[in-house]
Amino acid sequence: MSKPIRKIMVYVDGTEQSVTAAQYAICLASFSDAELVAHYVVNTRAMEDLLRARIFLKDEQAEYQQDMEADAERYLNHVGELAAQKGVSVTKKRSKGSVHKEIVSAVNDEDVDLLIIGELSRIRSRRDEFYDEAERAMRNVPCSVLIVKDEDKVWEMYQSL
Amino acid sequence: MALIDMVKEEIVKIPLESKDKPDVLRELVQILKDAGHIDDFDAVLEVIQEREDKGSTGLEKGFAVPHAKSPAVDSLKLAIGISPEGIDFDSLDKQPAKLFFLLLAAPDQSGPHVEALSEIAKLSRSNALCKALVNADNAAEVVELLKGE
Repeated sequence: MSKPIRKIMVYVDGTEQSVTAAQYAICLASFSDAELVAHYVVNTRAMEDLLRARIFLKDEQAEYQQDMEADAERYLNHVGELAAQKGVSVTKKRSKGSVHKEIVSAVNDEDVDLLIIGELSRIRSRRDEFYDEAERAMRNVPCSVLIVKDEDKVWEMYQSL
Repeated sequence: MALIDMVKEEIVKIPLESKDKPDVLRELVQILKDAGHIDDFDAVLEVIQEREDKGSTGLEKGFAVPHAKSPAVDSLKLAIGISPEGIDFDSLDKQPAKLFFLLLAAPDQSGPHVEALSEIAKLSRSNALCKALVNADNAAEVVELLKGE
């Protein structure tokens, strides 16, 4: 029987929940000897929507895009450091566009068999407007998905690795 | 944190007391101060005002989304104000603004900031919701409407 988990992808978006997800992914990659990919999507689709809706000015869009590119670099480097501290290698992947579409595309391109994401919104809403990008990705990727919860427990696990 | 997680009664004020744009910006920032989300009222008001000076965040159909980045916060903060009478906010369609969603983000969290603004933009496209929010009786009803309860 082949390994159940060969390649893990963790989606990192700069939230605390996604950093916790990355810590869990590092532990799981270490335990299962799986490859690990950390993926950050610069949400240019949302910025285009905001420009169209005139919430963003053109200059503001450019400024936020630069900020998000810098965020991508910073958070992917942070995950890289977290992984290196535990002797786990991580491939950093950055893309631009619509978040859920980019995640699905990356899962397919990288032949990922487990997607790890941070905890979703705790408060449930019936309003469609509040369905977030990670949730849409979770519903659309072809692989299994693991949602990481309990920041303290994950931190302990990461520390003890 | 998703936008929905931030919607709580303490960050909602209905009706707003202000009658003009400078006052409503102050009143919205005061909501954040009263909710304990910010300490430095003046610094926050300054960045919000600076952004407005570049171009009004008053959209169409009575919706306004004042927003800015500030080191005064370490995570995304939201304040919601509703003025059933409407306030001249120099909006795109020249109509008075009635629904105000003020968003303040930490400078290193542009991703969550953009996604939250995007969610607000989606909300603004729902005429029925906007109408219901303007006609809400109190903050609790606003929270219920936004959460779809």
